Amino acid sequence: MEESRKKSSVIPFNTNLSPPFKGMFRCGRERNKQIIENTTNPSIHLLKPFVPKREREREMGGPQYDLLMNPLGAVRQTFEKAVASSQPSDLDPTAVYRGKDWGIVDVLNQFLFSQGGLAQVPILDASSLKWIKPNTLVRFRGMVQDMLGNEFYIGAFKDGCTWRTNKFLDFSPFSVPPASETTLWERHLFHCVPVPGQNSWAIESTPYPLKINISNEMTCQHGEKRRRDDDPDGISDFDCYDEGSSSSNKKQKDCGSASQHKIAEITNGSSFPTNSFSFLVKVYDMPESQFKLNEVVEFIGIYTFDPELTTSDRSDNVDDDMSMFDFMDDVATHLPPSKVPRIHCLVSQKLSTQDLISNSPACEPLPNVIRGIRDSLVSYLSCTLGNDVIAAQCLLLHLLSKLRVKSDAASVGRLSLNLTGFTQESSSIFGKQLNNAIKTLLPYSHTIPLTIEYLNTAMLQPKKDNESGRLLMGALQLASGTHLTLDETVMQSGTLNSKGVENVLLLKHLMEHQIVEYDFQFYKLEMATEVQCLIISEAKSNILPADLVVPVCPSAVTPVSASEEQLHAWRWYLATVRSLPHSTDTSICEMLQNEMVEAMRKDRSLGCSDLSRWMTMAQLMAASFGEKSFSVEHWQMVKEIERLRKERL
Amino acid sequence: MESVCLSLFLKAHINLMHWAGLGLVGISPVQSLVWECFAAVGLFAGNLSPFPANSTPFLSPSLLVASFPANFSRLPFLLPLNLTWSDGQSAMASNGHSSPFGQATPNGNSNSSQTPRRSSRRRTNNSNSSPASSPFPLETPPSRPAGVASTPTTSRRRGTRHNPNATPSTPLSTDDAVPPYSSDRDENDNMETDGQDDTTPVFVWGTNISVQEVNGAILRFLRHFRDARSASESSEAADLMSEGKYMRVVHRIMELEGAESLDIDAHDVFEYDPDLYNKMVRYPLEVLAIFDIVLMDLVARIDPLFEKHIQTRIHNLKSTVCMRNLNPSDIEKMVSIKGMIIRCSSIIPELKEAIFRCLVCGFYSDPVLVDRGRINEPTRCLREECKAMNSMSLVHNRCRFADKQIVKLQETPDEIPEGGTPHTVSVLMHDKLVDAGKPGDRVEITGIYRAMSVRVGPSQRTVKSIFKTYIDCLHLKKTDKSRLQIDDSVNHDANNNAANHEEDDASLYHDKIEKLKELSKLPDIYDRLTRSLAPNIWELDDVKRGLLCQLFGGNALKLGSSGASLRGDINILLVGDPGTSKSQLLQYMHKLSPRGIYTSGRGSSAVGLTAYVTKDPETGETVLESGALVLSDRGVCCIDEFDKMSDNARSMLHEVMEQQTVSIAKAGIIASLNARTSVLACANPSESRYNPRLSVIDNIHLPPTLLSRFDLIYLILDKADEQTDRRLAKHIVSLFFQNPDNSVQEVLDLTTLVAYISYAKKHIHPVLSDEAAEELTRQYVQMRQRGNTPGSRKKVITATARQIESLIRLSEALARMRFSQVVEVGDVAEAFRLLEVALQQSATDHSTGTIDMDLIMTGISASERTRRENILAATQNLVMEKLVTGGPAARALELLEDLKKQSSMEVHLSDLKIALSTLASEGLVVFHGDTIKRI
Repeated sequence: MEESRKKSSVIPFNTNLSPPFKGMFRCGRERNKQIIENTTNPSIHLLKPFVPKREREREMGGPQYDLLMNPLGAVRQTFEKAVASSQPSDLDPTAVYRGKDWGIVDVLNQFLFSQGGLAQVPILDASSLKWIKPNTLVRFRGMVQDMLGNEFYIGAFKDGCTWRTNKFLDFSPFSVPPASETTLWERHLFHCVPVPGQNSWAIESTPYPLKINISNEMTCQHGEKRRRDDDPDGISDFDCYDEGSSSSNKKQKDCGSASQHKIAEITNGSSFPTNSFSFLVKVYDMPESQFKLNEVVEFIGIYTFDPELTTSDRSDNVDDDMSMFDFMDDVATHLPPSKVPRIHCLVSQKLSTQDLISNSPACEPLPNVIRGIRDSLVSYLSCTLGNDVIAAQCLLLHLLSKLRVKSDAASVGRLSLNLTGFTQESSSIFGKQLNNAIKTLLPYSHTIPLTIEYLNTAMLQPKKDNESGRLLMGALQLASGTHLTLDETVMQSGTLNSKGVENVLLLKHLMEHQIVEYDFQFYKLEMATEVQCLIISEAKSNILPADLVVPVCPSAVTPVSASEEQLHAWRWYLATVRSLPHSTDTSICEMLQNEMVEAMRKDRSLGCSDLSRWMTMAQLMAASFGEKSFSVEHWQMVKEIERLRKERL
Repeated sequence: MESVCLSLFLKAHINLMHWAGLGLVGISPVQSLVWECFAAVGLFAGNLSPFPANSTPFLSPSLLVASFPANFSRLPFLLPLNLTWSDGQSAMASNGHSSPFGQATPNGNSNSSQTPRRSSRRRTNNSNSSPASSPFPLETPPSRPAGVASTPTTSRRRGTRHNPNATPSTPLSTDDAVPPYSSDRDENDNMETDGQDDTTPVFVWGTNISVQEVNGAILRFLRHFRDARSASESSEAADLMSEGKYMRVVHRIMELEGAESLDIDAHDVFEYDPDLYNKMVRYPLEVLAIFDIVLMDLVARIDPLFEKHIQTRIHNLKSTVCMRNLNPSDIEKMVSIKGMIIRCSSIIPELKEAIFRCLVCGFYSDPVLVDRGRINEPTRCLREECKAMNSMSLVHNRCRFADKQIVKLQETPDEIPEGGTPHTVSVLMHDKLVDAGKPGDRVEITGIYRAMSVRVGPSQRTVKSIFKTYIDCLHLKKTDKSRLQIDDSVNHDANNNAANHEEDDASLYHDKIEKLKELSKLPDIYDRLTRSLAPNIWELDDVKRGLLCQLFGGNALKLGSSGASLRGDINILLVGDPGTSKSQLLQYMHKLSPRGIYTSGRGSSAVGLTAYVTKDPETGETVLESGALVLSDRGVCCIDEFDKMSDNARSMLHEVMEQQTVSIAKAGIIASLNARTSVLACANPSESRYNPRLSVIDNIHLPPTLLSRFDLIYLILDKADEQTDRRLAKHIVSLFFQNPDNSVQEVLDLTTLVAYISYAKKHIHPVLSDEAAEELTRQYVQMRQRGNTPGSRKKVITATARQIESLIRLSEALARMRFSQVVEVGDVAEAFRLLEVALQQSATDHSTGTIDMDLIMTGISASERTRRENILAATQNLVMEKLVTGGPAARALELLEDLKKQSSMEVHLSDLKIALSTLASEGLVVFHGDTIKRI
């Protein structure tokens, strides 16, 4: 038996992470099941051992758990069912479920995506954290900031003659009997933060009033529970459990407004500084490198918070026995549960910028619709730039740019923009307008003022702190697709210290290669990043080499305004067009080559970079009209823009 | 009796294990005692499950395994065990199974008398001469009289010793912490019923490891393993005569006082006995314990007086695990892992035994062992007469401590998948391994992967369901060191190993080397390498070829007697128009050569490049700080904007570029630092753009002394050429239009390139073949003649002795690229071509020293030159024929007529004039307007 377990070292590809809407074979049977236990206070439920009698009940009635409020119930139920269905001859029925889902994900997918449960799942953020109860289902959108490796836990153990699981739990609710059969499973830990630079319109949150619903549910839950407590077995369970549990749980049981107590506990015990709000996400059954650093992911999982764990963590440090192993403590201890709540992920999904545009217009990207949106967007952008249409066109192309191909030889598709001609005063008007426009149009944006002081002091480079084992976030640890504005107009002459030089090199490297070097103390690791860089400067920036330099000639200051509807259309437009695939039409290859040779003959200073910029712009121009491949017409437009731009230089 | 001893041994271990926090903390002391017995019985019981499944709570196999001896400072406990065994054997020989208190046991536990021990040893030795026929002590069947259970008690009383110096028997004799022997007895009874049969093999609990089998296998391995295969055939008798590899090592260890461990190459184990290897990797705790026992026994037989404990340290497992692939199935297995140490804890003194002293009567207690991480302080004085309560206090300086350290190991960059962060793992170091590695070291660690449960809190007995994992280190190998050894084995002058690519471990692997060799056999490897170098820089193929030569380098030569050395490094200067991606090339080279330093001429001062002396502000000592050139010793020093550098700074390079040292004589320090670096400099022409009206030298505008030190000087001119333009346009268009996968040429990626270069530099040292040498001489003479063409001015870069040196270097580098040990004629020819191309010499007008831009444009230079040479020769002949020295002048037109008559080709007046002016410069004629006079 031991042998067999040791042999199965390969973690099979799991079904847990299969995209939603898939694999719902289990649905029919579950739906008919009678609701018996769904309304129990989940935290109590969690700690209460099962007795055979209730198992019998379930088999007869087939309970349907309230997945929202008590997902752990469903976890347990599906597990027990899975174990029960396994071969009796099998000595270790849980071995099958190692690194594998036993049906809970299917149940959840069914609930979330076909029964519309997704809308009811509250989104966890700094504000909703105060009223969301532990051990309930939550949604969390965040960026994978750090990967903390994996964690081994007792996945399943035999309590008497029943198998229990600890999956999706921080610690075992039942004390593991000392001499029981246990199996070790692993899960992966990710430290997630809200996406840096996420603009307010892109943040989805659950409105506060939902709390009332929850507390309503709470009261009815307790009513239900009391009713069920008539069952003598249940009472005895509670009694024996209460002896060993902390008083807070007792309170919860007695008092109807348990949620309020919980809130008080949380808010008193540990303050949640909203700015350093982050989560530790535990992902199960993950295939190798499922998530990459800096990816934006939506997790749906169980939010756990246990005051008992918090206290114990604190005392652990004091404890002499453990002090020598402090060094070995994994990173998680530096993220105490009181400050960094845990989420046990059930379903996850990578998010693209498009996913952030809520209820996108149902239209297909029809050329004429796109053209309309494009025109209005260009006029909006030109307004923000003081009626400068050429700059606005360039800005649009820049906003649509996206790194397509990247190899050692070349990176195709990026178009960093340097808007010049801003003085301190004009940048205070147009720079601000521009920033606002970008903020309202793009989901993630970030502005860095390039002052000497900032460069000399700021930590741009993400750095691994080997003391705590964590990756410290630098300003350049950005989710892919973030827009970065570098304001050079504020720069004065001065001396850069070594850190400043390092930071400038880092920025330069980012612009040239779309790579940020992460500092791992003994070596540097290059991380591919996808960031659109916009530089605002007085004259052409020599510090940061942009692909396209456009002097802005504002003619008039016009108030910028846009309706919410327009904004929405533009956001949709930018996200959609950016993600459109570019196809290739080789018919105009010959023409392009001739054009280029001709241009080079005329102007000897033309180089590789100019030509590839033209190509990029032409492609983006075509995309901006919703077309996949560009034609002569787009090429001519680009040439015209280039001509006008050259005149200004 | 044996198993009692063993159970005690296990107890001791389990205690330690508990102390280390490894055991299940949630178990009451009584329970844990029960397990200990189980553990003991488990080891010795004849069958796999000696107990009815539900009679007593016992551990699942995995947990039991987890509770087996955990640490590697395990020998103190093994020795007494060993002693009792051998003694037991002797006792058994005489008394059979019925001896209740084997008289040897007390002896074994008290080291005070050596004699009986030695005699018993001898007996064991005899009986054990053949492991197959005579059972090793461990094999003794577990059946024994019940009374033996009291043996430990006896020994505990008897073995009262106050020597803190860790004598082996101490732990056993003071096992006060484990009181109830009743349970022990129960188990023994139980065992008795189980194991009446003497022949029942002994298995390690929950496994199919038969103890005696493993025992025998280890003994055979230690004795018989030889590096040569023939060893395995030697007979029993021959064993005593000729010793195996490890027997020799054991002898050496015994002779050396300091050595305490026996390094065993796992490859050897595998070669000798794959089965033993597999068992060792899968059940390392059990097998290693047996390993140590066998080894101790072996040592004791050689020299019974040998007191030290030799530990086995396994290393070099057949496969290494990637850190991120460690998973629950690896727990309790032996793993080998590579990584970089990022953090070391301070050394933790680990209390092993505590000694208490009664404050009232001064009575010293027996050493108290650590039990589950705690020392049980005696509450009352143990002396009968005193019995004072709470009077015992710890005597620190008589306690025994062991060193321990926790080290964090992080993945090396090459193992991290894209978009991931490196994983870390904790490693527990004991005793000798403490401080063996420092942060930043790349190491390969062999150890046992372990998991430890986390308690919810100290007061709570409940256990979090989470496990912490770490590796119990058995062996640490610095991978950097191993490369050094390889360097040594090459046994070549250290100068040759220029540019040690420290980042590159990979090239050490055999298969990788094979791959590189495969690559080197490709017919187009030269072109392929050229393409792989800075693939994002368009064209400039010949420049890239030159840079490639620089990376590979030539052979440095040390002239034995004089001590003078000839450098093998190739220096390159790039001079070119702005915007010809010189700096990008430099950056790329810098990236390719990790030892390289990149500086900009404008920002570098002489001292910044070489070395400078400063005064330490605190101590006032003078400190020598190395500059860029010294730092890039054995690398490439890239200097951008070479022309912007001050003359003073530039002059510092003279020494570096030829002698490859930096001499410092300053502020009380006179030093000569090695700077075996290749210099790659780039500069703009003196007037920013290349001026075709000026000579090459004037354009470059650097002192000739410095220029001659560059092997290759590339003129990168921005010349208009529709052909090139079209290629560029096509390239860019294809980037956008084609599937990038298709457009990718066969290019070596950066890491392969680096590996290729470093391998070639380390292992390939080509020698000039005779033909190549001949060719070299011939070509050089030719070149020298051309440089010395009588009409040439001083402004032409002439061939000097330095040139031939660089040609040799270049041809060596070219041979290296093919992994060829011989420089062939082709290499020499290519070296000449490179040199020619470098200065665009094919286009240089040797009479004026300028580059004929028209020639470059039209590309007719070669034929034109031959024509001119022909005309020149013809004219000279004509002049010699027609004119007499000091005679009357001739008219040019007349000469032209004659020339036309003589030669078949068409000759113009201009051609004639050029020829005449050349002759004039040679001093043959005087040429005024239209008249020619011979001098």
